[in-house]
Amino acid sequence: MNAVVRALKATYNFFAGDAILLSMTVIAFVMGLLLVHVVSAPNALVAAIFLGCIVGGLALTLGRELRGRERQR
Amino acid sequence: MDAQWAVVTAAFLASAVEFVEAFTIVLVVGVTINWRSALAGTGAAILALAALVGVFGTTLVRAVPYEALRFAVGILLLLFGLKWLKKAILRYGGLKAMHDEEAIYEEHMAEMRARGEHHQRRIEPFGIATAFKSVLLEGLEVAFIVITFGSAANSIGSAIWGALAACVLVVLVGALVRAPLQRVPENALKFVVGIMLASFGTFWGGEGLGISWWHDDVFLLVLVAFYLAVSGLLVLWLRPYGTSKLAGAGMIAADPSADEVVS
Repeated sequence: MNAVVRALKATYNFFAGDAILLSMTVIAFVMGLLLVHVVSAPNALVAAIFLGCIVGGLALTLGRELRGRERQR
Repeated sequence: MDAQWAVVTAAFLASAVEFVEAFTIVLVVGVTINWRSALAGTGAAILALAALVGVFGTTLVRAVPYEALRFAVGILLLLFGLKWLKKAILRYGGLKAMHDEEAIYEEHMAEMRARGEHHQRRIEPFGIATAFKSVLLEGLEVAFIVITFGSAANSIGSAIWGALAACVLVVLVGALVRAPLQRVPENALKFVVGIMLASFGTFWGGEGLGISWWHDDVFLLVLVAFYLAVSGLLVLWLRPYGTSKLAGAGMIAADPSADEVVS
């Protein structure tokens, strides 16, 4: 593994370390930006979708952990 | 004179909220990682703030892209918080071994002593980054409060005194709660840290997006309650699959991430 890849991997592990959490957080922010600045959606709707994406990411990654451990059994 | 007291009071109250937010993060970094990292991050943020205020003065309000900064800090804190929260939920759900804090600490100390290192002196980048971001963001907010309140009433000095009084009060209260906090079990503390970081990250990130939270800073408490409730439900969901079923199959061994800072 060369130095650049190692540095990228270390940066990823430092900031996120979990692809699902990272993806869902990025989706939450991108959707929030679109809803606020493009669609001008109501505040409560943006907040609900934003929180939904974050919690969804957490539930998804925990579900993946669970499946992984059950598969090992 | 009355106008000056009004500025002092307004700056005191508004700054106190920001200082409490920054101090909460510094406190949890200090208690869960170490005080050297927490203070290094705080010191670096204060230096950066001093440089910004020194360079821009009262034009700081226009010079710093505050929304963009809040957005970036929100994303990073949210990612840190979710990472901590996930591990805490896995532990409380029985899918990951709880840290045997004393055993890990003793083992860690023995290894460090063998290498001639001192645990309390080790600087952790995660701790520095977390404390730095929070103090910089909240410090900028205090600077904005002082400049806007002070400029509006033509009394920057009064606003500075109000903010300084708030800072002293928050640090004194923080110093008093530090000792009891250090007696809280590590697993519980890490769970709380995950909740706090995720709540602050959601709050600042949402503000950066343009969401106006209900009752502004008070909504932080709602977010804390929300994440606590969600985490509780996720723990309940995982528990039936946890220790009882997996331990028998040897799935829960010693925590492989015990040596990680964020574990």
